[in-house]
Amino acid sequence: MLETLPAKFRAYDLRADVRTLLTFRKAVERGLVKTLGDMYALLKSLVAQEPSKIGPFTRAFYDYFLNIDIENGDTLHDAILRSETFRQWRQDLPEGGEWDVADLVSQFIDAVHLTHYDIHEIISGKELWDRDNPDLADTDGDDSLDIPEKYLDRMADYSDLSLEELLERMREVLRNQKGKHAGGSHWIGTGGISPYGHGGGAKNCIRVGGTGGGKMARRVMGDARFFPVDRDSILSDNNVDAALSALKGIVDESAEESLDVPLTIKQGIKRGGLFIPELKNVTQEKLQVLLLIDNGGYSMDPYIHHIKELFKKMKTRFSHDLETYYFHNTIYNAVFSDVRRTKMVSLKKLLDKDPNYRVFIIGDASMSPYELSQGSMANWHDLQRKFKRIAWLNPEPEHHWNYTMTISVLRQIFEMYPLTPAGIERAVVEMNRKTGLARRG
Amino acid sequence: MADLTYWKGSDTYLCDPQLAQAFHMARSLGMPLLIEGEPGTGKTELPIQYAQDIGLDLFVYPVGSKSNVEQFVGRFDHVKYLRDAQIEILNAQREDKGLTTRMTTGGRDPEQLGDYVMKGPAAQAFCSAHSVLLIDEIDKAPREFPNDLLYALSHHKFIMPESGEVIEATEAEMPAIVITSNREQELPTAFKGRCIYHYIQFPEADKMREIIARHHPEVDDRVVQVALDLFYHLRMLGLERAPTTREIINWLKYIKQFSSEEAITKIDKLEGIGVLVKTQSDLEKVQRKLFGDSDDFRKRSTFN
Repeated sequence: MLETLPAKFRAYDLRADVRTLLTFRKAVERGLVKTLGDMYALLKSLVAQEPSKIGPFTRAFYDYFLNIDIENGDTLHDAILRSETFRQWRQDLPEGGEWDVADLVSQFIDAVHLTHYDIHEIISGKELWDRDNPDLADTDGDDSLDIPEKYLDRMADYSDLSLEELLERMREVLRNQKGKHAGGSHWIGTGGISPYGHGGGAKNCIRVGGTGGGKMARRVMGDARFFPVDRDSILSDNNVDAALSALKGIVDESAEESLDVPLTIKQGIKRGGLFIPELKNVTQEKLQVLLLIDNGGYSMDPYIHHIKELFKKMKTRFSHDLETYYFHNTIYNAVFSDVRRTKMVSLKKLLDKDPNYRVFIIGDASMSPYELSQGSMANWHDLQRKFKRIAWLNPEPEHHWNYTMTISVLRQIFEMYPLTPAGIERAVVEMNRKTGLARRG
Repeated sequence: MADLTYWKGSDTYLCDPQLAQAFHMARSLGMPLLIEGEPGTGKTELPIQYAQDIGLDLFVYPVGSKSNVEQFVGRFDHVKYLRDAQIEILNAQREDKGLTTRMTTGGRDPEQLGDYVMKGPAAQAFCSAHSVLLIDEIDKAPREFPNDLLYALSHHKFIMPESGEVIEATEAEMPAIVITSNREQELPTAFKGRCIYHYIQFPEADKMREIIARHHPEVDDRVVQVALDLFYHLRMLGLERAPTTREIINWLKYIKQFSSEEAITKIDKLEGIGVLVKTQSDLEKVQRKLFGDSDDFRKRSTFN
């Protein structure tokens, strides 16, 4: 049962494995999974564990269970409308009703996402309603009451159905469909979608769902927040936040206590030789960042804004030491503390700083070879020797690096990473690996 | 048995059905529920209201940047232990010298290591059956904190330091665990894999009206409507820190002391907007976007 599900999810870049299936089975045993909507809700909470995964998850779900392919930029509505599954579901509708297509799609979605919680809710709601309206219950021959009754009964049956029975029912439908047309790959037939046959809900003015999963699924498709940002694309407004979360890793905090020896002795003497160990909190929350930005020349212009945005956000979040300096192509004897490069700060002053500073150099490292003179090369080497945690972030695409001579040269000195969220993350991880080293040094 | 009834919220707390369902699934499976979502959408409220409504014990562990597993589970109080051991010696010496006054260890016995284990919220929650354990804002914790919880989460078991006492709860009796996060940092996948995950969607206007009705039932519908229009408009502006449920509820608390007519004028004038918009650059943006083209810019742009 569902053995192929993890593979399908992984094809959509979601994390699913045997444990997912085991938890799923456990949920079935506990009676949590009775409808397709239950499956959606449960699998979503197991597989789509961040907002940006909910979009791909919804697509994978519709693909696997309903053979509905939601393409990029598609709305759920359109994808359903196009699908064979919907066509069949519609075909099986009882005769004699004229329905608006949009309304039918909504019904379809509601039916897909109906959970057993919803069913219980509707049933108990109906009971309450009956109890509150004894007069109405007596009136005989009232059609509007008669039909819902039957429909609710069927729903009640359905909510007691075990998953095995449900699956069996779906398989049966699938077998029948295979006879009709050389068999699609889809896993669940239309018969499994809805617990009460077709259209029963809307016909009797009982709008099922519409609040829960269905609404969610519809919303997800049109919202960029529920799809992953491209972590390998150059820093832009869209993925600044992703980069920020990568940068956060550079705060190394520790929460430990250590013995306060001087205080212990002092207090112990006061107590007449009774030494009680005194503890003190050791707080290591030092985030010192030096930012060296190449803002000379047109090649860097497009990136300056995003870089500053990124580090500004970072600064408001942490309010730690963050110093920004600018240079043009390469560093001679000084850097500049302002964007327009008028206020000079000597390189020596930079080199006098605490070696624990983390240094990000952001630049395309592309310049005329003569700029990397002996003097400026020595400066780069000095920086690299002084600061153990130093990384070069380059906005140039990584596959161009080998073709620019100056990049190749600088790469021999610094570890270079692409200026993308993924690249920043790699740089930070590498920096943190060196933490111990820097402390000893 | 653990409390497995499907809980849908209380009189004061409107629980989104999807969240309620996820919470129920988590409890039925004996897994923690991990809730993420914008700040101010009621993540922390869920376990608090649930515990209150059903009448269960609630244990809270607010996570900070200094959090560690010791605080969460339990730590051995070395200071007290040494102190009491010293006191024993001291008392023995005094006895030798024929002194009768003794120092007390406060009922603790240095022979019993368990006396010196300070139980954290996790251990306490696992000791009392059917309780609720809230781990608030886990994203603020140092990176290793969630990883350190993995064993406990999968085995429902804690081992106390030094004393070696094992605190264990059966799946039926274990506390309902709710973990909240504001996504300030990514949680490890292994950790998430052991949780039921739910992302709280920002409530739409209809839902928001219901939420407001639970908090401020006395406010006039018209006032709520005007306030909501502005509120959702502000959210569309793409502010750095968009106002959330918490903000509008607080704002209405201020607005509701006035009569309906007065209140609507006040909303139009953006009075008390500081409750909704929290940063200077956002305030400027609101000013620009809402009144940028308008003639009576000077007149209306007084933010009180």
